[in-house]
Amino acid sequence: MKRYDVIVLGGGPAGLAAAISASREGASVLLIEREAKMGGILKQCIHDGFGLLRFGERLTGPEYADRFLKELLKMEIDYRTSAFVLNASRQRDGSFRLELQTQDGILYEECRALVLACGCREKTARQVWIHGDRPAGVYTAGTAQHFVNLMGCMPTKKCVILGSGDIGMIMARRLTLEGAEVEGVYEIKDAPAGLARNVAQCLNDYHIPLHLSTTVTRVIGTKRVEAVEVCQVDAHMQPIAGTERIIDCDALILSVGLLPENEIAEQLGVALDPATKGPFVDQRLMTSVPGVFCCGNALHVNDLVDYVSESGELAGKAAAHYTPASRCRVKLSYNKGDFLYAVPQYYDMEQPGPLTVYFRSRADRRGQTVTLLVNDQAAKKKNYLRLVPSEMETLTVAPAEPVRSLRLNMQARQ
Amino acid sequence: MTTAQRLEHTLRKKGYADISCTEWRNSIRLEGELDDWKAIVKAGKIAAKAGYKGVINDIALKGFTPPPTRAPKRRDNALEGRRPDVLIIGGGVIGCAIARELSKYALDILLLDKESDVAMHASSRNDGMIHPGIASHADSLRGKMNVKGNAMYTQLCEELGVPFKRYGNLILYADHVFGIAAEPYLGERARKLGIVGGKISRRRLHEIEPNITDRALGAFEYPSSGVLSPYKLTVALAENAVENGAQVSLETIVTSMELEGEQIGSVYTNRGAIHPRLVINAAGVFSDQIAEMANDRFFSIHPRKGELVILDKKKGPLVTRSMGLIDLSQATSDTKGGGVMRTIDQNVLVGPDAYEQPLREDFSTHRENIDAILKKHLPLIKGFTPADVITYFAGIRAATYEEEFIIERSEYVPNLVHAAGIQSPGLASAPAIAEEISRITVNALNEQMEVKPNGSFNPHRRVVPHMSSLSMEEKQRIISQNPDYGVIICRCEGISKGEIVDTIHSPIPATTIDAIKRRVRPGMGRCQGGFCSPLVTQIICEETGLTPEEVTKSGEDSNLILERTHKGGVEHETV
Amino acid sequence: MKPTVQEMTCIVCPNGCRLQVVEKDGKIEVTGATCKKGVAFAENELRNPTRSIASTVKTIFPDCPYVSVKTDGELPKGQIMQAMEQINAVTLKERLPIGGIVLEDVFGVNIVVTSDMTATPAPCRIGGREQAAVSSPDQA
Repeated sequence: MKRYDVIVLGGGPAGLAAAISASREGASVLLIEREAKMGGILKQCIHDGFGLLRFGERLTGPEYADRFLKELLKMEIDYRTSAFVLNASRQRDGSFRLELQTQDGILYEECRALVLACGCREKTARQVWIHGDRPAGVYTAGTAQHFVNLMGCMPTKKCVILGSGDIGMIMARRLTLEGAEVEGVYEIKDAPAGLARNVAQCLNDYHIPLHLSTTVTRVIGTKRVEAVEVCQVDAHMQPIAGTERIIDCDALILSVGLLPENEIAEQLGVALDPATKGPFVDQRLMTSVPGVFCCGNALHVNDLVDYVSESGELAGKAAAHYTPASRCRVKLSYNKGDFLYAVPQYYDMEQPGPLTVYFRSRADRRGQTVTLLVNDQAAKKKNYLRLVPSEMETLTVAPAEPVRSLRLNMQARQ
Repeated sequence: MTTAQRLEHTLRKKGYADISCTEWRNSIRLEGELDDWKAIVKAGKIAAKAGYKGVINDIALKGFTPPPTRAPKRRDNALEGRRPDVLIIGGGVIGCAIARELSKYALDILLLDKESDVAMHASSRNDGMIHPGIASHADSLRGKMNVKGNAMYTQLCEELGVPFKRYGNLILYADHVFGIAAEPYLGERARKLGIVGGKISRRRLHEIEPNITDRALGAFEYPSSGVLSPYKLTVALAENAVENGAQVSLETIVTSMELEGEQIGSVYTNRGAIHPRLVINAAGVFSDQIAEMANDRFFSIHPRKGELVILDKKKGPLVTRSMGLIDLSQATSDTKGGGVMRTIDQNVLVGPDAYEQPLREDFSTHRENIDAILKKHLPLIKGFTPADVITYFAGIRAATYEEEFIIERSEYVPNLVHAAGIQSPGLASAPAIAEEISRITVNALNEQMEVKPNGSFNPHRRVVPHMSSLSMEEKQRIISQNPDYGVIICRCEGISKGEIVDTIHSPIPATTIDAIKRRVRPGMGRCQGGFCSPLVTQIICEETGLTPEEVTKSGEDSNLILERTHKGGVEHETV
Repeated sequence: MKPTVQEMTCIVCPNGCRLQVVEKDGKIEVTGATCKKGVAFAENELRNPTRSIASTVKTIFPDCPYVSVKTDGELPKGQIMQAMEQINAVTLKERLPIGGIVLEDVFGVNIVVTSDMTATPAPCRIGGREQAAVSSPDQA
């Protein structure tokens, strides 16, 4: 059996970038995609706004994916679509063996290094504790997007959207363009969960009201959604009795958060960070299991696809050069009251090189300075007019001396 | 003083001022009006102790008009003039088990259900536990049927190709007094009913269930307890009945009956009038209403609702047995108080709770109930957290005031057989109930015809392979025969296109999202159908010729898609 | 003339700057923008707001019954719903590459395809060989 240098699991933006980058570094690469076509979720993200950082252009999702796909097809990269990983295991010699279910039967593949680029999934109605009936007409925004953009099917004529995540707002606009009425977008938090520009161009442009500190508590309807109950919430996000309001609608569309898909990581015994729900990684995006790398939304949920591709490239390159070696990891510390999370969580001293930290602020804060301290010295400082949880930020350093400690600090600017 | 007067007196003493009690045949009817449903149920329970055959509780709830029974819109004459030997009303596990049992005879069997699929009410809304029988009184029909039914499951599931595991059951206690007090009581019950098991030490408990927290001080263990998927079982029973000649008619509701003398002459439905030799009432929460149509309503159903929570499969391995922490008050109540258990599909079920309410078809869940269930049971196992919850649902038990099964030929309508009041442990008891009903039915039919065995009866069902549970070699073989079995549609549960396609074309065609989900599980996993529901919709369209607008979640009026983005539809030219 | 003050979010890039726009005597003054594009956006937004839109058109091809499209520039904001009507009236009968024009001059912009209909990658490529269906060498 041929043993690949690198196998990439997932053919979305992270996986495509990882495969291309690993191949550029001279590795033999196999990319495995569970869907019939590569491109991941970008296939259905027909709106524009992708690739501004990377290409300086406002591409649509399919266009962005196409650039990587064409690149991949030009290179000597093997791939399989409609291939599903049943089992992944690490063998005695440190290599990996995968069992795949495909139309051609059960296949086995082996590799030296594995890149997990499995993306994320949407939280469901039940995960945000919506009660009441269980009729047709409750969809996650991604499911609604699949129906509308790939199948030309309208799942609603009048809907309520819960959650102001980017996909939710983008679907609010999309459904409006196709003639549906979006009664309103309801957000349990006191600030929009998605990007400010999407509030402007997806909601405000179409006069769709955004109700903050309000959530959907109940679905009403036995066969198809007939109405939902919305309710204001207090500072602890608990419903305030007496503020319930019934809204007639035929669908409830949810954009209440994304969760990294890490079922294969768990099979391999990869340790997961409760803050990101993705693996703990070092600066080369290697997980706790040597030879297993992780990138894109499987690592942590990114706000821009450009960052997803960037992490894919980093993981792909590192996987191509992976050789078993001893590790000495320094933990990146930060105050959990200031930051939702920071990735990577570790720096491997045995692999000196640059470090890019991705982080999100826990709260909406103005006038902050974020400092990355290496060995207690400020190695990088950046001033922010405003930090919001919905937007990811990055800091890059190239430590000149061996790293003994790492800390991320947030301070109000003087 | 008559018994009825004495009961009225008792009720008055307990605070029920204006309840009238009148005897009807050998049952008792309560009438009046109260403004509290719990009080109405309690009155019924008090009446049940008065020694009558049944309690007909007609006390109205003030200001409450019961909603009409949900009925299919469909109107046709598909069944007009049918003269089956046996008409079974209700496609739950009881009706389907009876249909399958009777298909061992050369009989014309017709089973009706008003929903779009079998197992739409209690049979798909329970925990799937095959109880050992220890929770029922030793001299009750519930206890006897449970123990007998439990023993039948090994062979039945093998014949039907339904996954079944005897993981065992634990009654846990947090109070040493309970452990000491309950031992002789449970021991006597086990001896009378013939249930294997008994008290185990705390050390043994922690050996066999290492993730139990220190809340439990000890346990009683009953290894015969099993788990299965209740809707897969119900579907399998119905499919095997159909394979052996029975007919299942869905979206068919019985609207009234016409008696000829004492006998049921005609049964009217939305799909025509049927003239059966014999009718079996297996209508679950509606079994008293069906009895009423035949002028034989000697009991009442009081819907007892329960809510249940499902945890991610990742947490399945943390427990093996079904278990609940119980105190003395629960030991003698009508329900078992719920607990945690590993399902046959490796998820964890938490609950159910139990509460009385007047609605027979309200399957909504409530925040306070689900929160209470989690609060009560999650701390039992190390490693369970609310973040593991993937979904929750509700079911309704068809309880009578006697809290007992009704498995008998009507005393007044010779061609009516009741399988009514089947609440917990109805699932565990189903095979035994079906056997008993079949015996009663054949005896009754023998009065007017000669009932012969069905010579071509095949107990083995044709089974759609469940890929994710097969060995690599078996998977390889199946995919080589049909490559669709290699294409995964549901990533959370590992369900292939082949499984979905074959289910669409099974003996009871599954053409709705929920019907497919119940049979082969796409959408049952952690994403709850987010990724796969558009794909399953497409497969339904390809296999049935339906348009996406015609595909439903669970039958008429539950359409997923309301219109096309490009109105007027797309007719693809062959290119 | 009294100055009019308006708040808006710049949508040029994901930064989403909050802009304060003051219009006085025909002159526009913008604060809050962190780049020049934001100033241009605000000026445009006051005088003639424009937007690009993305949608799908139906095709005659069963392998891609709907194809994604976008406007190749921005059209007046007020004309978006009319543009959608035109887009939804199209049935594409020709396979187009990315950028291929589906409709010309819809309120000054073209409607162009955003996914490549002309090339469908093979479902599988192993050892550089594209294959519709393959068998793993060790499965003999």
